[in-house]
Amino acid sequence: MLRPLQRRKIRRRLAPYLLALPALALLGLFAAGLVSGLMQSFGYIPAFGLTRFTLDYYRGVFADAQLAASVKLSLWISVSSTLISVVLGTLLCTALVRLRKVRGFTLQTVRLPIQVPHTVVALFTLCLFSQSGLLSRILAQAGLLTSQNQFPNLVFGSSGSGILLAYVWKETPFVAYFVLALMQSVSQHLDEAAATLGASPLHTFFSVTLPLSMPAILRAGLMIFAFSFGAYELPFLLGATSPKALPVQAYIEYIDPDLRHRPYAMALNGIILLLTLLLAAAFFLVTEHTAKKLGGDGHAT
Amino acid sequence: MKHSAAKKQRLPALLLAAILLMGALTGCRSASAGGSTSSPASAETAVRGFDPSSTDWDAIVKAARGTTVTFYGWGGDADRNEYLNTTVAQALKAQYDITLEVVGMDIDQILSQLSGEKQAGTESGSIDMIWINGENFRSARENGLLYGPFTQSLPSYQQWVDMKDTENQQDFGYPIEGYEAPYGKAQMVLIKDSARTPETPKNAQELLEFVKQYPGQVTYPAPPDFTGSAFVRNIVYELCGDTQFQNMAADKETLRAAVAPAMEYLRQLNPYLWNQGKTFPATSGEVETMFLDGELALNMSYSPFTVSTGIEKGTYPATAETFVLDNGTIGNTNYIAIAYNSPNKAGAMAAINYILSEDGQLSQYRALRTIPVLSPKLLEQSQLDAFHAVDIGQGVLTQEELLEHRLPEMPSALVPLLEEIWLEEVVGK
Amino acid sequence: MRRKQSRFSRLILAAAAATILFPLALIALWSVSSVWEWPGVLPGGFSLRGYETVFADYQQMPRLLLFSAELSLAVAALSTLVGLMTARAIALYRFPGRKLLLFGTMLPILVPSTVFGMGAHVLLIRAGLAGTLRGVILMQTVCALPYTVNILTDLTSSVGDGLEEQAQVLGCPPWRAFWAVSLPELLPGILSAMSMAYIISYSQYFLTLLIGGGRVRTLSTVMVPFLTGGDRTVAATYAVTFLFSVLAMYLVFEGLIRLMARGKGSEPWNWN
Repeated sequence: MLRPLQRRKIRRRLAPYLLALPALALLGLFAAGLVSGLMQSFGYIPAFGLTRFTLDYYRGVFADAQLAASVKLSLWISVSSTLISVVLGTLLCTALVRLRKVRGFTLQTVRLPIQVPHTVVALFTLCLFSQSGLLSRILAQAGLLTSQNQFPNLVFGSSGSGILLAYVWKETPFVAYFVLALMQSVSQHLDEAAATLGASPLHTFFSVTLPLSMPAILRAGLMIFAFSFGAYELPFLLGATSPKALPVQAYIEYIDPDLRHRPYAMALNGIILLLTLLLAAAFFLVTEHTAKKLGGDGHAT
Repeated sequence: MKHSAAKKQRLPALLLAAILLMGALTGCRSASAGGSTSSPASAETAVRGFDPSSTDWDAIVKAARGTTVTFYGWGGDADRNEYLNTTVAQALKAQYDITLEVVGMDIDQILSQLSGEKQAGTESGSIDMIWINGENFRSARENGLLYGPFTQSLPSYQQWVDMKDTENQQDFGYPIEGYEAPYGKAQMVLIKDSARTPETPKNAQELLEFVKQYPGQVTYPAPPDFTGSAFVRNIVYELCGDTQFQNMAADKETLRAAVAPAMEYLRQLNPYLWNQGKTFPATSGEVETMFLDGELALNMSYSPFTVSTGIEKGTYPATAETFVLDNGTIGNTNYIAIAYNSPNKAGAMAAINYILSEDGQLSQYRALRTIPVLSPKLLEQSQLDAFHAVDIGQGVLTQEELLEHRLPEMPSALVPLLEEIWLEEVVGK
Repeated sequence: MRRKQSRFSRLILAAAAATILFPLALIALWSVSSVWEWPGVLPGGFSLRGYETVFADYQQMPRLLLFSAELSLAVAALSTLVGLMTARAIALYRFPGRKLLLFGTMLPILVPSTVFGMGAHVLLIRAGLAGTLRGVILMQTVCALPYTVNILTDLTSSVGDGLEEQAQVLGCPPWRAFWAVSLPELLPGILSAMSMAYIISYSQYFLTLLIGGGRVRTLSTVMVPFLTGGDRTVAATYAVTFLFSVLAMYLVFEGLIRLMARGKGSEPWNWN
């Protein structure tokens, strides 16, 4: 019979794997879904009589003149909305921490956009910023407009500003909420110490609070970037006819009544997947590197 | 102090456990509920040994009794949803003891699901009836997603449908061969508000003048939206005639050459359109919203009686008017088909038989003003009178006027090609 | 100095609150308007047509809302449970593959749900899970997993296992040690993870429709065609209904958290 200490040692070694088992099962399902999608992108769909692996569909995607424009648009939307949301979100988080409003009505209000689905955000973006939206009406009442056409084409325009505004509205509170716990923990433990040493609050923020909260900020940034890059709803509802954002193009191919467009859709998905994974890996390495520089795990101590 | 803290935590912990338990129970309970409703096929074949290809109508009705039939189709029309869930559901229950389950889903997702099931070899799925037509029908047929032929077994079809009518033989130029039954007729119409725009453009030339007079206030949904695509096809018919397309080969370059005058015309329209034709609304819903907002001067719809139902609901102004082009607008029929792996083919056939019957078509006309698919030649006078007695409301054209100005659809193989050509040649040009 | 700071912070919060609440108020206004033409800044007329349509008898809205809530609760419970176990493994143990696991759990957020949904659909059909509630719960749990793991990992490493070890040294069996010592500390975070997973599941449209095949009817699947349709009043009504039902559940979660916070007094880190 094993002595208690030995038993505990074995249990200790097995424990993490056992604990991780359900997650691994779920991730297995996820991976299987990805693999199935990739197989379809290589043209392997037996039910449609396609049994040859081929790169034809990828070639078709790259041959499309619109592809570069789509990728550029998707990148532009994701990068700008992420940068703006991260800055504003961190600012919002700072305000929350400073005023110690970490629960209750204020926090619930800030959290509200997380609970609002993207389709509803598209709806009120139209109500506000379309050429017949509230802003346009206010300007008309003020005598600055006489017809709806004079209002700039924020929504549906090729700049994608409508999409940008919608994403920022939804993602800024997400960043704030995500970083809140860490920033609060840092603030709680170190603000007083810094003040005692004579640092001004501003100085404390930039040299202590912000750097120590960086891991959470970066993680939030990565999450919202990846999401805005791959999601189709907002660009579909608020975007221009051409160029279409990458996931919108994939979605349109997917719902094409001619089911032989399916592998084409999967090829587009494959490209989205590749770009997202590359970015994720890059960011992950960066986050870990930053964490190592700061010492510790990069998680809340 | 630790004691009271522990006590205060017991209540919330218990509540949490209660929530978790409820969640877990849902999973188990509804999983079994979901499981039980997914095996009516085995029930059907085990109990009745029914052969859906039999033409013995009584056997079909008997097999359908007491079963549930699902009807999958676009769910974005609140009026139609209400009609199906109340009038039709009640009638089916009364007449055939069938429970109707209406499921709102876009046709592309329906076909996607069926093709997924085909890929996985599922023999008994969850979809019975499908609201379908056009390119989607063609695609479904080519991929073997539909059950049929079945219309020959339906008494309503035998009695009241004119089988010589092209629209009952071909769907967008593709042979039907009994794989779908007519459901309702639709026709493209244009809508304007006579209080804001007294002019009515009845042909391409007048339309061009119209957009010049009201710059920035006209647009159309971007293909592949159904209505937008129909509008483009209509313009093509205006400028290039319709007969040359009926037997055209599905070759993009041939089509491009044939529609060149129409593309040129659309490019001429662009500078005067909403957003100078650089971008177009993605859906017909958006165009309608903008029209009702007063942002657009022209709306278009496949439902010719949209204005009268709209005025009654209060969403449309009383001065709204429907009109068609002098040369005609595109009309089509939409149909109901049965999924290849429908678990309740008998029930589906019985339900379709009702919808196709004089009762069903009359109730649909009354509730939704959908043009009936029954042939007036085959109806008795009293039945015809019943149809004419229905008040079609304000601001719309009569059935006769619509049918006199009706053009056939383009073959479905050409439609996606035309949509691509439009995207390449018109947007932002 | 502090007052100036807190004034600046107050300004930011006020601006944020206004930006968040105003569009939602606008939607609420649209839901009760009968006609609202340009350039009117206020509706031209009011009516309850939207609510009459949405809550019409045949829609069975109460049943739909209850079912959607139950589905999302199941997903929340499941993903939080898995998240808790995974977080414990990542936070408290050092083992080969740890970093990989951490990265792996982030993937469902980074990869769009449409991408792996379209691929997984065929597999689920073969497994007989397509069109079933179980299949939908499973897929939504995968989507919610990154959020719960993320929230709970930080928390678990914060709470640590020091107290548990002490309890075990004093003779407490390991399960009991976890239950009595660590779990109470983790409860607020667990609730936070659950409420996050709940909203992820409740808002899910594409996956529910794809995997559920129309047989799993939630508020989201019913309302999206209307949100993109032409009737803005009905669309706004659905949006308002959705928001209220989500807020109702949030109040439940928030209430539980408050009860727990009162029971513990103030802690160094305050998980809301």
